[in-house]
Amino acid sequence: MNKNRSMFMYGIMILFLLVIPFVYDSRTLLILLTQVFIFAIFAMSYDLLLGYIGIVSFGHAMFFGIGAYTIGIFMKRFEPTMSYLFIALLVTILLTAIISFFIGLLTLRLKSHFYAMLTLAFSGLFLVLAEKWRTMTYGNDGFTFRVPDFLKDRTEFYLICLVLMVLVFLVLRRFIHSPLGRVILAIRENEQRTESLGYNVLHYKIIASVVSGVIAGTSGMLYSISLRFVNTSVFSMDITLDALLMTIIGGVGTLVGAIIGSGLIEFAHHWLTEMAKTHWIFERWIIFFGIIYILAVMFFPQGIVGTLKRLRWRKDKK
Amino acid sequence: MELFFNLTLNGLATGMLIFLLAAGLTLIFGLMDVLNFAHGGLFAWGAYSGTWIYASTGSFFIGIMGAVATGMLLGWIIEKWMIKPVYGNHVQQILITLGLMLVLSELLKVVWGPNQISASPPDVLKGSWVIGDIIIIKYRVFIIAVGLLIFLIVQYILKRTKIGLVVRAGVMNKEMVQSLGINIHKVFMLVFMVGAGMAALGGVLVGPYSGVIHAGMGMEFAILAFIVVVIGGMRSFPGSILAAILVGLSGSFMAYYVPDLSLAVNMLLMAVVLIFRPKGLFGLKG
Amino acid sequence: MNVQLRLNEIETYIGQYHILQGISFEVNRGEVTVLLGRNGAGKTTTLRTMMGLNPASKGVIELNGEQIHRYPTYTIAQKGIGYVPEDQGIFPELTVEENMKVAIKKENEETSERQDYILDLFPDLKKYWKRNGGLLSGGQKQMLSIARAYVNNNKLLLIDEPSKGLAPIMVEKVMESILQMKEKTTIVLVEQNFRMASTIGDHFYIIDDGKTVQNGRMNVLRENEEMRRKYLGIA
Repeated sequence: MNKNRSMFMYGIMILFLLVIPFVYDSRTLLILLTQVFIFAIFAMSYDLLLGYIGIVSFGHAMFFGIGAYTIGIFMKRFEPTMSYLFIALLVTILLTAIISFFIGLLTLRLKSHFYAMLTLAFSGLFLVLAEKWRTMTYGNDGFTFRVPDFLKDRTEFYLICLVLMVLVFLVLRRFIHSPLGRVILAIRENEQRTESLGYNVLHYKIIASVVSGVIAGTSGMLYSISLRFVNTSVFSMDITLDALLMTIIGGVGTLVGAIIGSGLIEFAHHWLTEMAKTHWIFERWIIFFGIIYILAVMFFPQGIVGTLKRLRWRKDKK
Repeated sequence: MELFFNLTLNGLATGMLIFLLAAGLTLIFGLMDVLNFAHGGLFAWGAYSGTWIYASTGSFFIGIMGAVATGMLLGWIIEKWMIKPVYGNHVQQILITLGLMLVLSELLKVVWGPNQISASPPDVLKGSWVIGDIIIIKYRVFIIAVGLLIFLIVQYILKRTKIGLVVRAGVMNKEMVQSLGINIHKVFMLVFMVGAGMAALGGVLVGPYSGVIHAGMGMEFAILAFIVVVIGGMRSFPGSILAAILVGLSGSFMAYYVPDLSLAVNMLLMAVVLIFRPKGLFGLKG
Repeated sequence: MNVQLRLNEIETYIGQYHILQGISFEVNRGEVTVLLGRNGAGKTTTLRTMMGLNPASKGVIELNGEQIHRYPTYTIAQKGIGYVPEDQGIFPELTVEENMKVAIKKENEETSERQDYILDLFPDLKKYWKRNGGLLSGGQKQMLSIARAYVNNNKLLLIDEPSKGLAPIMVEKVMESILQMKEKTTIVLVEQNFRMASTIGDHFYIIDDGKTVQNGRMNVLRENEEMRRKYLGIA
């Protein structure tokens, strides 16, 4: 009963979002929502790691950046056509898969602290690499590039991102409910017990981290396509922090929470940046979110979605 | 050889600054199993508050004291309200301390503005001595001296006092220490505050060394400190000073000869150590 | 008979595992009360719950009439309870001397006397006074652990499987030391070695599947082969 009801709600939301560009004539809103979709995909990939397996990564920006630069480089150095886009996509998937596999293999058997530090280190390495390899990346300044024609239209791109976001959501849902996904949930519940039941825990963690990395990479691709520009900021700590904030505040381990978190953060960012023009305190908006984030981790580990679910569950019980 | 000497001095000074950060991290991690990702924020707050107090009072010494006091106060608040409640849950700890780092850095900008602030050493420490061809910058020697002093003091406390004994025992077996009737939470608080104080000290010292302070410096030094903590052995106090000197020296030499690679090499070193020798190069055995 | 410690329907969870499902027993002052039972029955967990290391979710623990089950571990220890855990809990990188030092709450004439007493009982400890605890043999570690629990004027000692993994001659030594300490303090002993348990124990409780199922005077159990076979798997 509950499931059908939420499916219905989601359906309405999606319909609503589909219709917006045709009803509401605001370029700003369109671009903003597109960003929300893109970051929702990124945040969902992060939620897979944090919410479903319980791994804290400080280097998620790494995959985001790889995707962003790959498409940029291909579009710039070759031609902005569909075929090259496709190749860039393949390369992104390959690169992110290999790197997340490699890093996962080496570090997932260590304690959470080590994984966090190591991903921080690798992420930093990529940032330095992007800064120094000027011939490829043009360093800090970055570069602009053209995109294939059909992606040029804002509305079409909006719809593509919306569809992709829903797709990723459904795919991840499927993944979690699959036998593979169940093992991963079991690992989150009680790693030792799952291991003693004969499952190679490391194996499953790596699979999940590869899936996560690949999805993050594709979101990075979408990001730079939307801007037609890429620079070292895609590898910055800020990006990883965004994912963290969105996932935690929205609700870890819920997938939907990542989408909601993305919406909240992106809208707040936009709104507060506008407000900053009037009063400087709004420039420091991130403190506000930082505090909410800390409170969320301490008191509402389930975030908004989780807390709502719990409230609804309690009401149903009566 | 003048170049070599200069690079060495520079490396040692930087090493000592990193040591002040890393020492606290090592003690806190060793005893409490908490990796304080907000430690860099304490460093930055030490820098800003210390420099400001120095500018307001005209006394560098008071500035240092003020910075350390600020650090310890912040440490007390953080431990009591944010670390203690989530004690035992690693994921929450990591997330909270990271968020705290963010908030601390941003708060700095709110209080002191987003721009860089310049800092210079007090007159008595300005300038340098000249011995033959070699120029020895006084302030660098000062930093090295302070670092060594702190190391010796803490080492003495650890080895020769009851509280130090309790801390060392706690690193080895927290449960047993409690079973012997010792309130381990008080010890945690003390260690956290001392660690925070040391971080703040590092911060206030670095200002005149590099000439400017900015809100991002906390993160920069923190990353180096993490590298040092890992290389030196996550729970080894003597390991942390050795590793800090190593990282400081290597950074100094590389910054001169191959500047592009220096940070990358440090990170690579950390990655390698984490992967192949998680106990660090100088860590405790077993 | 003077009841020093009482546990009433104690239940403890470790994670989601319901380890203790109803532990109740009384410890009389000056006696050695033995907790017996198969591996995994919950004996160690019972001691840990008493020390507050795995707090009870239900039930009451009373020490001299005072309810202590909600206190933190260090407060419980401060009430005069000494704990000798199954793995001895020796600080490996501290010397024997330092291990003792951590344990001594207040250095005065009394603790000094007690330390002399216990060191006379365990001369090996005096011999290896400056050696790191991690380098001691199993038996020596056990002695150190017992010495640490003894040196403060603890009125109650909780000792977990002191004979485990020790050579017979060491077991004798440990038994002897416990018998000597019995004169000055009350002891709760978890022990699989039945010979040892029956020699020094006064009262016994059998724990099975997390519940206390039987109890009585030790001399009774010595005679009752059927009970021994049923709950302890021995003849």
